Amino acid sequence: MSTKEVTRKRYLQTDSGREMLAGILFVSPALIYMLLLIGYPIIYNIVLSFQDVTALNLAAGKERPFIGLANYISAFNDPTMPFALRNTFIYTFVSLIFQFVLGFAFALLFNKKFAFAKTLRGIMVVSWILPTTVTAMLWKYMLSPDAGIIDNVLISLGILTKPVGWLNNQHTALWGPIMANIWVGVPFNMLLLSNGLSTISDEVYESASIDGASAWQKFIHVTLPLLKPAIMSVLVLGFIYTFKVFDLIYVMTGGGPVNATEVLSTFSYKLSFRWYYFGQGAAVANILFVILFCVALVYQKIISKEEAM
Amino acid sequence: MSTNTLQHFIRKQSARNALWSILGILVFIIFLFPLYWLLISSVKTDMEIFSIPPTLFPREITWEGYTEQIFGKYSILSSAKNSFIKAFSSMALSFVLAVPAAYGVSRFKIPGVRGIIVFFLVTQMLPSSLLLTPLFLTFSRLKLLNTHLAPILSVTTITIPFTLLVLRPMFMTCPREVEEAARIDGCGRFGAFIKIVLPIMKSGLVVVCCFGFVHGWNDLVFSSTFNTKSELYPMTSAIYSLMSEFGIRWNWIMAYATLVVLPPVLIFVLGQKYIISGMVSGSVKG
Repeated sequence: MSTKEVTRKRYLQTDSGREMLAGILFVSPALIYMLLLIGYPIIYNIVLSFQDVTALNLAAGKERPFIGLANYISAFNDPTMPFALRNTFIYTFVSLIFQFVLGFAFALLFNKKFAFAKTLRGIMVVSWILPTTVTAMLWKYMLSPDAGIIDNVLISLGILTKPVGWLNNQHTALWGPIMANIWVGVPFNMLLLSNGLSTISDEVYESASIDGASAWQKFIHVTLPLLKPAIMSVLVLGFIYTFKVFDLIYVMTGGGPVNATEVLSTFSYKLSFRWYYFGQGAAVANILFVILFCVALVYQKIISKEEAM
Repeated sequence: MSTNTLQHFIRKQSARNALWSILGILVFIIFLFPLYWLLISSVKTDMEIFSIPPTLFPREITWEGYTEQIFGKYSILSSAKNSFIKAFSSMALSFVLAVPAAYGVSRFKIPGVRGIIVFFLVTQMLPSSLLLTPLFLTFSRLKLLNTHLAPILSVTTITIPFTLLVLRPMFMTCPREVEEAARIDGCGRFGAFIKIVLPIMKSGLVVVCCFGFVHGWNDLVFSSTFNTKSELYPMTSAIYSLMSEFGIRWNWIMAYATLVVLPPVLIFVLGQKYIISGMVSGSVKG
């Protein structure tokens, strides 16, 4: 027996215990890191949300008294809270609808086999990887009342008669971050839906054509049902990524004017880092987290159902 | 089919394709117009920025916006250095931690592996505002505020799950026999991973490095929250604070913005094909 065969035999004899140990060794550094920097903060945040933590008692190094639900109660009684909740949901749903419809339309368009379709689609994804800070400034510039191109285009098309000053007006301000967010999110929707479209074989469409289906009927009875899993995950992921928005609004409007664009994350940030009510900031962040967590759970259910299929 | 009808069919097909191409190009131009506007505004003069109607092509090109950033009193060089430090460190950190972990969860039978993957999937969806308050207080106690380490450690928590979720499906398709052959030749498990598996996975590793760098580069919230000293500002924090200083000198702001987007856009253009497939697998597959 050669030495090679001996080693092979010994390798085959190794028990699954050693396999497991090796696996754990590979995984544990990242897992420990994440538990320390994500797991611990989540728990710490829950603890903070039940304590009276302000800059004052932090600086004095005093005990932080346990105050029950007081942080949650004062957060909900804060006049900003209704605005933050309302704006977060409006922002999320309006962005989501436009992102999805445009992303879907673009996915269908670039799924046609014309020259450079894939290249054009690929380059469009660039809006998704730009730093959000820059995207926010770029849209702020394009929406500005003095130099904004968007108002100028709308005026020359006859839709407007004078500049709106989108971000300075309480009634229109939320549309600024919404427009910017749609621009960022469309490629994401487009890519995931294109990915789903590419899994539908041409044969399905061909047999539908033989049965005399029109383009619209094919879309309703073939494309939509087969694309359902991709549509579901795009919508849920889109909801999660949009709902937790921070940078875009922080840079474009900072929540103003007069709470018109305040969302849960910017409200939490202000409580903690402008007014140093860390306990209340933690409470608002937790509310945001609970909503997202429920959506993530639903998403997990959908995914595992798909895998079981 | 006679040749005549075939020709007719092909002509009809190509006419339709031409129509789709025109529509596609139109969508492309309109969609990417903001990016063009960013570039073109950065070289316009103070006057032309406010001209009505706005000029699609600058009448006069000025590089003042750029020279002011580089040689003026708001030197971009130190914040560019900070951005590179942050982006490279978080990229390296998440590479060292997440690549072995991705290999571990896809190759070995570990108890509770499904739970570990779900944990990573969920962390990817967390709002950064959830981490800000607890991390701020923790970093403050550890005397890590106003150091490069604070934002690097924080932003890596976004990059690690992403890396893991992108690489896991790739590791699962990597042929097991190759590793076994290496093991027989006397490599340990770790040796086989380093010498055999990683070189095979090169394209996947490039993708996660690109993303690691871009995540670190793009971050604003962790840097601005944990680092208040302007000499530690990365470019994202710097441009944010310059915005109030420059006021409505949009041409200067856009020049600075162009310099900020340059590295991510370059990376994107060079690795476009791989990045897009990585993006899709990193965001859908659990």
